[in-house]
Amino acid sequence: MNPIQRITATKQIIVCAGAGGVGKTTTAAAIALRAASEGKKVAVLTIDPARRLASSLGLKELDNVPTKVNRRKFTAAGVEAEGELHAMMLDTKTTFDEVVYRYAPSPQQADRIIANRFYRNISGTLSGTQEYMALEKLYELHVTGDYDLIVIDTPPTRNALDFLDAPRRLTGFLESRVLRWFLLPYMKAGSGFMRVANVAATTFLRVVKRIVGGAVLEDTAEFFVNLEGMYDGFKERARAVQALLQSDLTSFVVVTSPTEESVAEAVYFAQRLNEARLPFGAVVVNRVHPKYGDGIGARTRQISKLRAQEGDGALLADLLDNESAFMRVVRREERNLRALASKVPRHRWVRVPYLEQEAVDFRGLVAVSDQLFDTGGGPSRN
Amino acid sequence: MEIADFLAPRIHIVCGKGGVGKTTVSAALALVAARAGYKVCVAEIDHKGSLPRLFGASEPSYEPSELSPGVWALNVMPEDALAEYLEVQYHMKRVSKVLTSTHFTDYITTAAPGLKDILVLGKIWYLEQNRAPGGRRYDFDTIIVDAPAAGHMITFLAAPMGLADAVQVGPVKRQADWLIEMLTNPARSIAHLVTLPEEMPVAETLETSQKLDDELGVSQGVTFANGVYQDSLSDEHLALLTKPSSLQSCADSVGLRLDKEDFDALNGYASFLEARSAIQAKHLRVLAKSATRPIVRLPHLFGSGLTLPDIETLADEIEGKLQEL
Repeated sequence: MNPIQRITATKQIIVCAGAGGVGKTTTAAAIALRAASEGKKVAVLTIDPARRLASSLGLKELDNVPTKVNRRKFTAAGVEAEGELHAMMLDTKTTFDEVVYRYAPSPQQADRIIANRFYRNISGTLSGTQEYMALEKLYELHVTGDYDLIVIDTPPTRNALDFLDAPRRLTGFLESRVLRWFLLPYMKAGSGFMRVANVAATTFLRVVKRIVGGAVLEDTAEFFVNLEGMYDGFKERARAVQALLQSDLTSFVVVTSPTEESVAEAVYFAQRLNEARLPFGAVVVNRVHPKYGDGIGARTRQISKLRAQEGDGALLADLLDNESAFMRVVRREERNLRALASKVPRHRWVRVPYLEQEAVDFRGLVAVSDQLFDTGGGPSRN
Repeated sequence: MEIADFLAPRIHIVCGKGGVGKTTVSAALALVAARAGYKVCVAEIDHKGSLPRLFGASEPSYEPSELSPGVWALNVMPEDALAEYLEVQYHMKRVSKVLTSTHFTDYITTAAPGLKDILVLGKIWYLEQNRAPGGRRYDFDTIIVDAPAAGHMITFLAAPMGLADAVQVGPVKRQADWLIEMLTNPARSIAHLVTLPEEMPVAETLETSQKLDDELGVSQGVTFANGVYQDSLSDEHLALLTKPSSLQSCADSVGLRLDKEDFDALNGYASFLEARSAIQAKHLRVLAKSATRPIVRLPHLFGSGLTLPDIETLADEIEGKLQEL
């Protein structure tokens, strides 16, 4: 059994992580597709505004609630649809609003928070918010018990590690005592303390006021006042999400390309997962060039002699050049993957070759899933 | 087009989706400028410092450093830009550690989204105006901005307009107006798009180009199609592959022995190249059909990973192609 098969058979949550542009979304969709075709009820949650994914699944657009993919998509691509595939795309703002309604002591307080300008900015721009809400949505879907398997890709950060740190960054920010203390003079509830705000706080406020204006400060203070009483709910939930991610219901799949930079990042990411006691499941190496033979090794002199010939000789020279160019790429990838093998045992990997077609439609996703679930015909290590 | 004309605007903003090779193209453009005798600085925005590595240098800092003769680089982090802004504007050197802490920067940039981008653009403005802390003068002729990934790029460049709308008077309003003038004056700034001949990058590039025209008024130079397979094979090559005996006799003539595995390799890589080239050609057609700016194709490089010689090759290519425009 290859690691992707094993994880898909035994886990309820699969998190696909990796740097931007390595094929996380496609990998997540292909895993979900195969699991659904084999009988599971699966939800795939994507973070990328991947219009292509929606259209390849035959959906007009992806929404913040899972939408079922039509069975006909499966049969048209020649695969079984014994289970169900549902797809959704995270809407950060809507999810955050739902969270606020859940934890606010009263609907009126929730309304006040949601109408607050500072809150609106947070849900749009504060780094970490998207990641936090992705995990929130994942948890919500999980506790409904509606799905046998949930596959999620992670936000397209430049650095895959941001994903692990982001939720803590958001809660840390919301809870920051320093910030709230500095904002005291603007908080109506704390107006009694206003006079004693110290020099640093006054300086802080003066600077901020100059840069962003007084109205913004009032918005912010109002936001933090309204947030009072909700931290326990946030924290409780964060703990529950963390526990779920660390449990043996979950597995992390690290997606990488065979380039040196990407492999180094994947190795580091796998180590960080271990440190954070998050269950690392497999590495998917995407877009590996095909290998034909061990290199013809024509000498430069031979190739230039051929090139000097008229007709077929020159043509052969081109073909030999092409072969040696790709062999250089293959050798480089082999070297990068040896570096990977020294850190992550090979039975935890799956390679997906650089396919001769693109995974731009349902059939393309099926082709990728065939590769992900392929036992390769080679010696099975389990 | 003469290189001097291409380099007439001093600020070159290199934009594109993540993973298309913005940093590589920025580095190649820097070499083009340096070879033409310009003192050039590449500004990476909030990056991991992949550019200095191309030149064999270590991590970049907020202070520009020289990577190779005439080529300088710096890494613009919003925290540093905020600290510099506070120092220059309000003479607040190290008021408190709090002011440059992550929470503070997060707070400021959340309270006024776009401010982070303004601060970064402000640093570009300082470089263009030849101002630096402590009265240093760098005298850069060309400034290449390795912009954030496409999704963020539009908000990045639109930030000064947002701020100018939000703040009607005062120094901040004035500064926002300076940045808008810098970005929209074609004599000062020009944006180049980088893409790959693949479906999503091409679609996003066309969208970005449209937005630059319609929403931002930032003028555009060229679109770089990166990683294009150059030597596509002809029907004659493919015909030869079906005749092993002809191949063998050619090989024999130079003393090269080809066995069955070698024939398979020649075939396999020829068909791989054909398949990938066909996919690329399809996307390049889409790009060519809708792009409103000249397209410069950059070759797929089979080198041993991206190193300085690769960048030199790309710089050669860019020089040649620009002169053909």
